[in-house]
Amino acid sequence: MRARTPLILAALLAPAIAGAQSSASQDLGVNGNVPGSCAIGAPRLAAGAQVNFRGLNGTTLQIDQMVDPTTLSTNAASAEVRFEAVCGFPHRLRVETQNNGLWQVHERGNAPPEGFGYAVPYRASVRWADENLRLNADAQIRRIADSQIYIANNAIGDLLLRLEIDPGATNERANAPLLAGTYGDTLRITLEPQQ
Amino acid sequence: MNMFKLVPTALLLAASASAASAQSSDTAGPLPITGNVPALCSVGTLSGNGTFPLGVLIDTSTGLLRGDLSAPPQVLSAAFCTAQSTITVSATPLQSVNATGTPPGGFSRTVNYTATASGWTATAASFTTGAATNPAATQSRTTAFQGDISVAVGAFSTGGGNALRLVADPAYAGNVTVTLAATN
Repeated sequence: MRARTPLILAALLAPAIAGAQSSASQDLGVNGNVPGSCAIGAPRLAAGAQVNFRGLNGTTLQIDQMVDPTTLSTNAASAEVRFEAVCGFPHRLRVETQNNGLWQVHERGNAPPEGFGYAVPYRASVRWADENLRLNADAQIRRIADSQIYIANNAIGDLLLRLEIDPGATNERANAPLLAGTYGDTLRITLEPQQ
Repeated sequence: MNMFKLVPTALLLAASASAASAQSSDTAGPLPITGNVPALCSVGTLSGNGTFPLGVLIDTSTGLLRGDLSAPPQVLSAAFCTAQSTITVSATPLQSVNATGTPPGGFSRTVNYTATASGWTATAASFTTGAATNPAATQSRTTAFQGDISVAVGAFSTGGGNALRLVADPAYAGNVTVTLAATN
């Protein structure tokens, strides 16, 4: 009896390229970094908080009438300056005075006459990130002085600087007359990221 | 009547079988030969290092997201699918790796962006992190194809709004995934 044998040759094409599947994926990373940084914007006078100051000229605050014409001693003055600021990291707030008071810009070589004041103390208060920092520039010694505080969090908002000069305040006795001249100091406010 | 017609047919089949067995030669066949090619896809070879290095994400004078962020595209060379296919791109936003707490007011720890995969379909597949929907994330082509896929990232924005500052962190990371899938 004749037999017929149907033959079926089945071929399967094996994957010729490693990694080929019915679906294939590739992951790609995206990365970057944000350094600890702080920024302070330009100063602007706080509205309605200015007494005996002419205003803000760039970054310079100028006292209007430094001397009371009746006492010839220091006139009271105060001002508030706001700075938009941000720190994306825990940071340190530092306020530094260059002269530790308002001192004569052009010092004379000879000793000042007795009884006259030749420097004016003032207070600087900074409010930032729900913290208060105070610097008392007492004008006793002409030097750099600073005050600082650690802020444990990121912060953003207005940094408020308040400057106050008391009436009759001098580096000599209270209400001493001030020597004629131009007085000045430089304040530096620093927000510095801390690890 | 139906019974009468069935009998001659049965006889004819028997006779035919008897004649075949009398032949001196024999044949085998037809022999069906079949094969199949499964639908396969490969993403090919990555030409770059597999990352989009963006560097510093912020303008350090403002703390805000830089407007000029960019990174060279990554190319998947000689990708192929042996059948009709879809290409899908998905992505996760850049987020701070170490600073994982909820950011304080005014800050964000997320950067959204759009990832695109072009070269496979007429319309590039694209996915925007942070978007409610991404209807263009999957694109289809109806033929087998081999070619290069260029993957790019762009259109960066700060999660929560560009007025927010980013919290400091030495590592922000996100991920883009490109998938080719056969659709037989």
